[in-house]
Amino acid sequence: MWLWFSKLGSPKWFYELSGKWLPWLVAAMVVFMTVGLVWGLLFLPPDYQQGFTSRILIVHVAVAGTSLAFFPLLLVSGTITLVWRMKLADMVAKNAAILGAWFSFITLATGSLWGSVMWGTWWEWTDSRLVSMLFQLFLLLGVISLRSALEDSETAAKACALLSIVGCINVVIIKYSVEWWNTLHQVSSPVSMDTQSPNGPEFWIATLVMIVAVYLFLSVSLILSTRNEILERERRSQWVQDLVSKS
Amino acid sequence: MKPHRRKKLGIIIFIAAGLSVAVGFTAFALKQNINMFYTPTQVAEGEVGSGQHFRIGGMVKTGTVLGATNSLKVNFVTTDFVSDVPIQYEGILPDLFREGQGIVAEGEMDAKGVFQASRVLAKHDENFMSPEVKAALDASGASAENHSPVATN
Amino acid sequence: MLDAIQFSSFADFIDMGGYGFNVWSVYGLFAIFVAVNLILPLRKKQRILRQLKRRMTLDEEINSEDSQSS
Repeated sequence: MWLWFSKLGSPKWFYELSGKWLPWLVAAMVVFMTVGLVWGLLFLPPDYQQGFTSRILIVHVAVAGTSLAFFPLLLVSGTITLVWRMKLADMVAKNAAILGAWFSFITLATGSLWGSVMWGTWWEWTDSRLVSMLFQLFLLLGVISLRSALEDSETAAKACALLSIVGCINVVIIKYSVEWWNTLHQVSSPVSMDTQSPNGPEFWIATLVMIVAVYLFLSVSLILSTRNEILERERRSQWVQDLVSKS
Repeated sequence: MKPHRRKKLGIIIFIAAGLSVAVGFTAFALKQNINMFYTPTQVAEGEVGSGQHFRIGGMVKTGTVLGATNSLKVNFVTTDFVSDVPIQYEGILPDLFREGQGIVAEGEMDAKGVFQASRVLAKHDENFMSPEVKAALDASGASAENHSPVATN
Repeated sequence: MLDAIQFSSFADFIDMGGYGFNVWSVYGLFAIFVAVNLILPLRKKQRILRQLKRRMTLDEEINSEDSQSS
């Protein structure tokens, strides 16, 4: 177990292993993305009240749900960096913050595009779901700028770990904001197996496909940028030199 | 202090300031009221001071929507199935506004106890249904009300 | 399967029941978001490899010049 753990921390080992996984992950991502998008744009039935804006929500829900994974990921990798000084964890954290900011922004933008026609407003400062999601975007931008200001020092790792704790608390607030307080934002839709009831498979299977597609995309994008990080930071090592001369 | 250290310190202070502003904005938005709106029952119980500008959230009571034919004026009653509050509004209503649907209105109470709304937003519930399923449910006698929970909690 | 397509004409497909702007904006934005976050890392990798390769050949040239002069 410990051998495996320290091996995983070795950038070279990760670079080789992820190189083997990537083609499969990419293939799965392409399949799920294609099925999800074609289904979403051609086959998803309209909602009896919202019309075809229900199609916005399968993308919005998939991106929004996935965006909540970033702060827990940052907290775990931050802790590993501080306690075990594993270089790889820090490389993952750096790129996860940037990708997480993208996810948060897309969540807000797609939500606005739905709200502008359904609620009658693009943005409400008094809705705790909306404001806590915006706060997540600000926190991630904070993590990114802290990192670029302090480079890869111990202080940066500590400060980012601290922000990650705040971020994780905020994730809980985002999740339960719609239940704890009165909001314009609706609560999470339950899943129903019954084809003749609200929230039946005709809606949630398409959403599930999109969620899997978005998680696969997250993994592929994060692995790609982490591999770049490895090449840059390990450029003096023999195995990177060998790799370059072979390419 | 070395120039590069000073630069770093400057950046950190800048971030700290940015974060404080973000937190401040959030706190300000939340301080006014973490709840976005009051329910008709809360209004009936006098939780809102008179003359206060606030938001009210509830369902549009079926059969109460009266629109003027020659203007955008509309009157309706909002309810949480315990208390009712009449609302008057002039303006364009969102696409989702309809009887039995949740809404959030912003404005103030007038002397006659009518809520004069300056803005009306539609609230969507968590239920998705295709028109076919909706029609089948209606045909089998299960009314839409059984599936749309009260918008407030 | 083709029966399950929700539209009878291409114009209907673009219109999305009157919500064309919003629906297509969301899917367009999503496509850009996915494409950017896959293409940028791939291009960066090419750039890194190119730089490392250039540095390597430069080092080799310097080394060979050194050995000639000595």
